[in-house]
Amino acid sequence: MENEKREKFIVPIGPQHPALKEPGHFEFTVDGETVTGATVRLGYVHRGIEKATEDRNWTQNLYLLERICGICSHSHAMAYSLGVEKLAGVAVPPRAQAIRQVTAELERIHSHLLWLGVAAHEAGFDTLFMFSWRDRETIMDILEELTGNRVNYSVNVLGGVKIDIDTERADSIRKGMDFLEERTTHYLKVVTSDETFLRRTRGVGFTTTEQAETLGLVGPTARAANVARDVRVDVPYITYADFPITITLDTRGDLEARFVVRIKELFECYRVIRLILDKLPAGELTTRMPRKIKEGETVSRIEAPRGELFYFIKSGGGEKPERVKVRTPSINNFALVTGTAVGHQLADMPMILAGMDPCFSCNDR
Amino acid sequence: MDTVKDILALLFFPAGLAVIFGGLAYEWIDRKLVAQLQNRIGPRWFQPAADIVKLLAKEEVLPEGVDQWLFHSLPIIALAGVLTAGLYVPLFGLAPAHSFAGDLIVTIYLLSMLTLCTGLAGANTNDHFSLIGATRTLTQLFSYEAPFLLTLLGPAIVAGSWQISEINAYAGSHWMILTQPIGFIVSMIGLMGKLELPPFDAPEAETEIVAGAMTEYSGRGWALFRLGKNVELLIGLTLIAAFYLGGLDNPLTFLLKTLVLLLTVAGLQALFARLRIDQTVGLWWRVGALLVLVQLLVTIVLKGVLT
Repeated sequence: MENEKREKFIVPIGPQHPALKEPGHFEFTVDGETVTGATVRLGYVHRGIEKATEDRNWTQNLYLLERICGICSHSHAMAYSLGVEKLAGVAVPPRAQAIRQVTAELERIHSHLLWLGVAAHEAGFDTLFMFSWRDRETIMDILEELTGNRVNYSVNVLGGVKIDIDTERADSIRKGMDFLEERTTHYLKVVTSDETFLRRTRGVGFTTTEQAETLGLVGPTARAANVARDVRVDVPYITYADFPITITLDTRGDLEARFVVRIKELFECYRVIRLILDKLPAGELTTRMPRKIKEGETVSRIEAPRGELFYFIKSGGGEKPERVKVRTPSINNFALVTGTAVGHQLADMPMILAGMDPCFSCNDR
Repeated sequence: MDTVKDILALLFFPAGLAVIFGGLAYEWIDRKLVAQLQNRIGPRWFQPAADIVKLLAKEEVLPEGVDQWLFHSLPIIALAGVLTAGLYVPLFGLAPAHSFAGDLIVTIYLLSMLTLCTGLAGANTNDHFSLIGATRTLTQLFSYEAPFLLTLLGPAIVAGSWQISEINAYAGSHWMILTQPIGFIVSMIGLMGKLELPPFDAPEAETEIVAGAMTEYSGRGWALFRLGKNVELLIGLTLIAAFYLGGLDNPLTFLLKTLVLLLTVAGLQALFARLRIDQTVGLWWRVGALLVLVQLLVTIVLKGVLT
């Protein structure tokens, strides 16, 4: 009886909970402070977007799919555009591709800085939270200057991009990169040397490389466990072959490694953005797209800030797609929470959850 | 006449209303400082008072399955405890309203009432966040209480008295932060643990257990607990300033010394990530308690040798 009672002491986190501003439900069975079991329930904000795409034409879908996620909106729009362009057999001008890559990397910076703040907040380190979000404003300002919007930048059109980067804008991006690089160096120092913070991250949520493979982790979470998995490197799309990035790996596989990998990826972003700005190919921004896309199906994969984003697009030859299937990186990574929770302290749970950078909005389309 | 004076001292000044408003002012300064350190703007000066007025006016929800009597009386007992403690400390640099031999011990226990009431309040409800919060609150109480007590005993032993006013007078000519630096540091950290300020806010870690033991409290009860915490902040700072920073003999030194301490507390709050409860306990017993014990022994031995 006593045992059974203990067994049932469940701490629910979500769908309404201060630790999680997004709607997911986690149940942690605890014995004292130690977690003995974890379950996850998702799907609270299912919006039926995949089905809705079947009622809209190819162009309208671009704007609908961009709204799957507020953080990685460009990734969704780009993955969809790449798929549709492949189906239509259209070659996108190189300048448009390079601008897509710049936006994608700017978005990655924005996402990683946002994550850094959230994860620090989960550890009760609000000072880092406030500072990283203040610096994130730099990237938001750049995106606003570039596209007119802070989120849902709507950079893509089918067959190209809407915006151009002239020298003036390039200079303001460079200035922002310089400022952020200096700040990021400081953050890297903080997360690797702050004693109280290391006590919350070192050795917490540890996964071996084999475990990470078994759980099917993607993105920075997998790379922190030394799984060399990055679509930008494995299957370079747009201009990633011309402006390659170096994969960031860490062998430790714990929360600290996830912090380090994401922050080091930021440096990679700054480097690549500067490189592209220096060698931005000249030429057109868009190319003609047919109204109707010829029959066929395709898969397009890109590396979103959280990991591999997968689009399956099927066309029946009409003005509308027959099926659009999206698989977001978060669904893979949720296994990390349930897989590593047991044996940890309850206080580590929000950290482990935040450590994989979950995106519920992506997840429940 | 004396009775009237006593009642005035109890209800208005220096205990009672004056402490409450003082506590609210100090909460504001603390919040504002932390906000500035975190690159935020922070609340306006009347925000803590406005919060209390708003909470007092709001409905108090009585959760199912709680002991009603306990639920309503715990906040009152907690606030009464810290307000009573206000009678024995040199608030605003004035002589304590009341004083008797051994009032130091009484004050220390009155200050623990708040934490104890918080723990009981959490354990009183069926809410899982509250229960875990209550466990953590009480665990934390057991870890910092002994070292904190010892840090206040250090000055008492040197002064040769258990009466706060006498220790305060003795401290006027002896800055004990210089002779007992460990005691000073541990007492500051102990106060932060007592008030559950970051990085010792595991008992009310919002990202894990919402508001900890206080999760089910709303309206009046929550307001009283918050008031109690504010008053305790003021009284704790007064005690430490009186013992370690050369005593308090007029309002000006009081303001100066407690504000310096508050600045330190705010800086520490902004500087660290939250400690897990097991880390808090480990820190206190492995480091805090041991250091203070060593210092206490040295103090006693030296006092014996010198006199």
